[in-house]
Amino acid sequence: MKSAFNRSVFALAAIAFIAGAGQVNAQQKPLKSYESGNKEFWTHPPDDWFLGDETEAQKGLAPPSGPPTGASDAELASLIKKIKLAPGFKIEVYASGVLAARQMAWGDKGTLFVGSFGLGNVYAITDKGGKKEVKTILKGLDMPTGLAFRDGALYVVAVSKLIKYDNAEANLDHLGEGKVVYDDMPSYAAHGWKYLAADKDGWFYIPFGPPFNIGIPPTSLSQVRRVDPKTGNAEIVALGVRNSVGGDVDPRSGRYWFTENARDWMSDDMPSDKLNMITKLGENFGYPHCHQGDTPDPKFAMGHKCSEFTPPVLNLGAHVAPLGMKFYTGDQFPADYKNSILIAEHGSWNRHKYQGGRIVRVIVGPDGKNPKQDVLASGWIEGDQGYLGRPDDIILDKDGSILVADDWAGAIYRISYSKK
Amino acid sequence: MRSALLGTLLIATLACGSLARAADPAAAKEKAEVCAGCHGDNGVSQTENIPSLAGQPDQFTQWQLVFFRGGARKNELMQPIAEQITNEDVRILGAYFASLTPPKDAKPDDNPDLSKKGAEAAVGRRCASCHGDSFAGTKAVARLAGQREEYLVKALHDYKSGVRNGGAGAAMTDVAYPLSDEEITALAHYLAHL
Repeated sequence: MKSAFNRSVFALAAIAFIAGAGQVNAQQKPLKSYESGNKEFWTHPPDDWFLGDETEAQKGLAPPSGPPTGASDAELASLIKKIKLAPGFKIEVYASGVLAARQMAWGDKGTLFVGSFGLGNVYAITDKGGKKEVKTILKGLDMPTGLAFRDGALYVVAVSKLIKYDNAEANLDHLGEGKVVYDDMPSYAAHGWKYLAADKDGWFYIPFGPPFNIGIPPTSLSQVRRVDPKTGNAEIVALGVRNSVGGDVDPRSGRYWFTENARDWMSDDMPSDKLNMITKLGENFGYPHCHQGDTPDPKFAMGHKCSEFTPPVLNLGAHVAPLGMKFYTGDQFPADYKNSILIAEHGSWNRHKYQGGRIVRVIVGPDGKNPKQDVLASGWIEGDQGYLGRPDDIILDKDGSILVADDWAGAIYRISYSKK
Repeated sequence: MRSALLGTLLIATLACGSLARAADPAAAKEKAEVCAGCHGDNGVSQTENIPSLAGQPDQFTQWQLVFFRGGARKNELMQPIAEQITNEDVRILGAYFASLTPPKDAKPDDNPDLSKKGAEAAVGRRCASCHGDSFAGTKAVARLAGQREEYLVKALHDYKSGVRNGGAGAAMTDVAYPLSDEEITALAHYLAHL
């Protein structure tokens, strides 16, 4: 059976804007249709599937490309002096040369494992007499952004494969091919990069982004699954999710909270990126019909109302790009940090003046009511569209300090607190 | 020639303020000697299927070296070489090749009709939106103008078949996949003669 697949590649923001100004949206062009009833479509999506929604004023906005070799030690030394911190906090460089650093995970014996974006590397950082040694332990993987460590094994999620490397810390120099424990995942590069968060049963929460900015997603995407790496069993825990690359299990309730990057090309200030919480299995967070809990999509609302969907716990701001997040369970930071959520904001590209590029804290109860947000660290954005670095993940260290990964500067920072 | 090169590097140093680029040009040229065997003196290749590097944007060359080193881009000659290259050398080489005068085909275009087809294909495929109106490339995006014709054919076929994925984003694999052989031939001819 043939099925038609509709989506717009035209200027949605312009249409919304014109309509909002009281003019007739006469310029609205018909939805473009694609023939999706064949394998070809799914192995090679149309090349205009991901881009093409921009207005004339938005032309030229594109994801910036960072320095290929990260920041040098001298550049990092000057960078951290520019970071503004909440009172009493201190930032230092933990490790440099960790190119394209993404999610971090601790091994049992103190190895810090770090994934990467397009480079395909996984790193192991070990302490050699007070100096950090960064070793590339896996190469050539497909965007291995997400990783986790459980029962001696390193797990790496590389777009379409969840790979397990047994006894990893004893084999840093020869991890081998690993074993694929789950692969029911499409191979699209677009929003195909992932994040891993384990719950108490050792199942992983894994986000599946749609392979475009906005459209009706294939049924296997725009969702969060919970996957058992032992058996390969999986369940869908959330639907209607756009690009999520961060989440953590609430130590108070066991519920999964996650960050979500909202659609692009609507405007500089719309819609907001989100912090969400799953309260019941399979609930729908609104994408592509409704954004930020209250804004129907100009084209893809398709008759749906925002009230049909689970609203976010908190709107974090437009194009701030919240990625890795952790509940703060340490004892080093001030008491009101306990069980608050720390979020690494990667920062904008689809906005004329970048925002995000910082670490924020959200104080919120386990019920998700009355969230309050403030800034722990900022200063990675320079000028309107410049980056010194881009924070993308957070992990706690044993002493209660936190480590922050930065895929632009290719560095890991430590942020610590001491009462004076 | 030497003083012109020095001047360019000095400007790059001042503009970027990066410590890495403060390396002296003679040392950069010496580091690049290992490249000259295949990529030609002054970064202009005389060898079939080997690209010219002269005038490539600094970041583009750096990314390719980093991709070769990490194995995201595969090539049996380049990978072993790139594995030996430090971050510092990657920066020096990127700045060095960016400072060289880009190649320009000395011969007149022997097939203007084909170039016309290529120009049309370039518009249809929106090449200039990343590579720039003059196809000089920018930042992480390659210079195409004046590149060796048969190398452009090879690169487009490599993208089309998925042999090369360009590291991060999937832009080139997606763009090249639907290209016909005729379009590839025309695009390569057009770009090589710019």
